[in-house]
Amino acid sequence: MSLRIMPKSLLKTWIKHLQSRHFKVVGPTERFGQYVFEEIHSADELVMDYPTSVLPPKKYLLPPRERLFTFNAKTMEMQPDIQAVPTVILGVHTCDMHAVAMLDKVNNTGYADQHYKARREATYLVSVECLTPCMEGSFCKSMGTLTVPENYDLHFTDLGSDYAVEVGSEKGAALLEGCSAFWEPSEADYARVDAVIGAKWQHFPYRLECDVTELPDLLALSQKSPLWDELGERCLACGMCTKVCPTCYCFDVTDEIDLNLEHGERIRQWDSCQIEKFAVVAGGHNFRSSRALRQRHRFMRKGKYQYEAFGLMGCVGCGRCAASCLVHITPVDTFNALHRLRQAAQNGSAAENTASNQEVQA
Amino acid sequence: MSAKTLPRIAFFEFTSCEGCQLTVVDTLQDHPELLNAVEIVQFREAMSERGDNYQIAFIEGSCTRPSDEAKLKEIRAKAQIVVALGACAHLGGVNAIRNRMALPEVREYVYGEKAAWFETYPARPIEAVIKVDASLPGCPIDRNEFAMAVTHLLQGRLPNLPDYPLCIECKLLENVCMYQRGKTCLGPITRAGCAAICPSYGDGCEGCRGLIPKPNWAAMKAVLREHGMTDAEIDSRLTMFLTYQTMQLEAKAAEG
Ligand code: SF4
Ligand code: SF4
Ligand code: SF4
Ligand code: SF4
Ligand code: SF4
Repeated sequence: MSLRIMPKSLLKTWIKHLQSRHFKVVGPTERFGQYVFEEIHSADELVMDYPTSVLPPKKYLLPPRERLFTFNAKTMEMQPDIQAVPTVILGVHTCDMHAVAMLDKVNNTGYADQHYKARREATYLVSVECLTPCMEGSFCKSMGTLTVPENYDLHFTDLGSDYAVEVGSEKGAALLEGCSAFWEPSEADYARVDAVIGAKWQHFPYRLECDVTELPDLLALSQKSPLWDELGERCLACGMCTKVCPTCYCFDVTDEIDLNLEHGERIRQWDSCQIEKFAVVAGGHNFRSSRALRQRHRFMRKGKYQYEAFGLMGCVGCGRCAASCLVHITPVDTFNALHRLRQAAQNGSAAENTASNQEVQA
Repeated sequence: MSAKTLPRIAFFEFTSCEGCQLTVVDTLQDHPELLNAVEIVQFREAMSERGDNYQIAFIEGSCTRPSDEAKLKEIRAKAQIVVALGACAHLGGVNAIRNRMALPEVREYVYGEKAAWFETYPARPIEAVIKVDASLPGCPIDRNEFAMAVTHLLQGRLPNLPDYPLCIECKLLENVCMYQRGKTCLGPITRAGCAAICPSYGDGCEGCRGLIPKPNWAAMKAVLREHGMTDAEIDSRLTMFLTYQTMQLEAKAAEG
C-alpha cells in the first residue's frame, strides 16, 4: 500500500502511543538466552532483532490453553467465553506470517472457529523482514517463506538507524494514526529498502535438496519408506516438535467442574500427534500406536496433507522443531533423506533397466 | 445433600514421609468446599477420630515389610475404590532406592546394632500387593490434581490424569528447555501433571511422577550421554524415583 519511515529512536514513542490507545502490545523479549513473545511495558524490553522465539506468536490466536465456555450442570445453562483484547503483535517473522495464513484458512474453513475468529480480528500483525538466518535448522528460503505474505498490517524492514514501515491494510494504517513518529519516505528511502532487501538473499542457503513443490509427491511415494522406522527408533515421543510448531493446531477438549459438581468450564488445550494416545478411539483401538507411524503422520501433514487440503504447505521452515528435538529429528534432514532414498531407488531401477537392455542386446 | 449420602473417605499411610497427606491438608485450605463434598472418616494427619466404614481409601506410602501386606489387603477388602497417593504408593518412591543394594547392609546402615529388630524387604508400590483403581503421582502430589481427582470420583468415574510426557506441559508454559540452559531433564520420559514445576523453576525433572506408558529408554539415555552424563551418573539419576519401574523393565527385557 504505502511506505513510511520511522527513526528507531521513536519506536518508544509509538509503543506509548499504542498503549495510550489501550492496545495490548506484545513482542519478543529475552528469557534465559532465548526469546518469548510477551506483553511489552516499555520499548526497552523489546528485542526486534531476535533470532526466533520458543513458541510462535500463534499463541495469541490459539492459546495453549483456553476456556471455550462455562456451564452450570444443575441448570444446564451455558455461557460462551470469547475474549478478544485488541492486541498488536510486534516483530513477527515472515515464516510465522505464512503460518498465520495457514491458521486463518484452517479456522475459517467450514464452520469458522468463533474463538479464533474473534481474536484474529482483534489482532494487528506487525511483521519484520529477516535479514540474516535465525538459526541453523531453519530453511525458510527453501520453503518460500522468506518474503512476507499479503496478510501483514504493517511490515518493518531494518534500515540501520530507521525502520521502513510498509502499510499493508487499513488496520495497519489505523495503528499509525495520530502518531508523529512516521515520516513520508524520500526517493532515497525507497532505494535504501531495495538495497537492504536485495542484499539479504545471499546470506540464506537453500537447504532442501529438492524443490518445495516436489514434497507432496515425494511423500506420497514414501509411505513405505524404511526411514519412518528409523525415526521411530530415535524419537522420544516427547511432543516438543509439535508444541513449538507455528502451523500445528490440534487440540484436546476437556470439561472441568468444581467440587460441588455445579459450575464447570470447557477447556481447549494444544494436543500433539506424537503422544501415545493421540489416535486412540472408543474401544481403545490406536490408529498410530508406534512412534514410527506417528513420525510419518507428522511429516505427511507438514509436506503433503495440508497442501492438499488447504493449498498451503504445512511447514513454513521456521526450524523450531529442529532446534527443540533432543534426538535431532529435523524436517530438512527427513525430506532430504526421503529425496535421496527416492533418487537411489530411481537410479537403481534405471541401472537395472540399462543392465537388462544390455542383456537383450547382447 | 445430607451428610449421610456423602462419600466416605479414609487416608492411610505406609512407608512415607507423610508429605502427600500434608498436601491434602493444604488442599483442604485451598478448597474448603471439599469438606462439604466428602465425609472423612479416618485421617490421622488431621483428626483423631477413626472410622472403619469407608468407600474410598487413599493410601500413602510403599509396602516395605511383610506385615504391610495384611494391612493393605484389609483396606482393599473394605474399600470400593483404592487410590495410591503419591510417589511412594504409586512407584515405591525414594524408599525403593535400596532395592538395588544389599538389604542387610542397608538395614545396618539405618538401624545400627538394632538392625535385627526390623523386618524389611525391597520397597514396592502398593499395586504390587493389592489392586489399585487409580494413582495420584508425584513427590509430593499436586494439590490441584488431588482436587481434580476427588471431583472425578464424585462424578462416579476414575480420575482421568495426564499420562503424556512432561515436555508437553513444559512447552505449553513456554519454558526454555533445561537442555538449552546447560542442564539435563527427564521430562521426555516422565508423566506430566505437576505443571512442570521443576523446569519452571530452573531445575531438570527427576521423574517423581513416574514413567510415561512407553518410554523410549535407549533414546533418553543417549540424550543424557550426549549432554555429558556418564553411565554411572545416568543410573543414579534414574534411581531417585524410578528404581522400581526401571528394575521391572530390566526384568521384562531379560525375560525377552
Ligand atoms: S521433538 Fe523429536 S523426540 Fe520429541 S516427539 Fe518430536 S521428533 Fe520425537
Ligand atoms: S515443522 Fe518444524 S520447521 Fe516446519 S513449521 Fe513446524 S516447527 Fe517450523
Ligand atoms: S526461518 Fe527464516 S523467515 Fe523464519 S525467522 Fe528464521 S530467518 Fe526469519
Ligand atoms: S525442560 Fe525438560 S520437560 Fe521441559 S521441554 Fe526440556 S526436557 Fe522437556
Ligand atoms: S518436574 Fe519432574 S521431578 Fe519435578 S515435580 Fe514434576 S515430575 Fe516431579
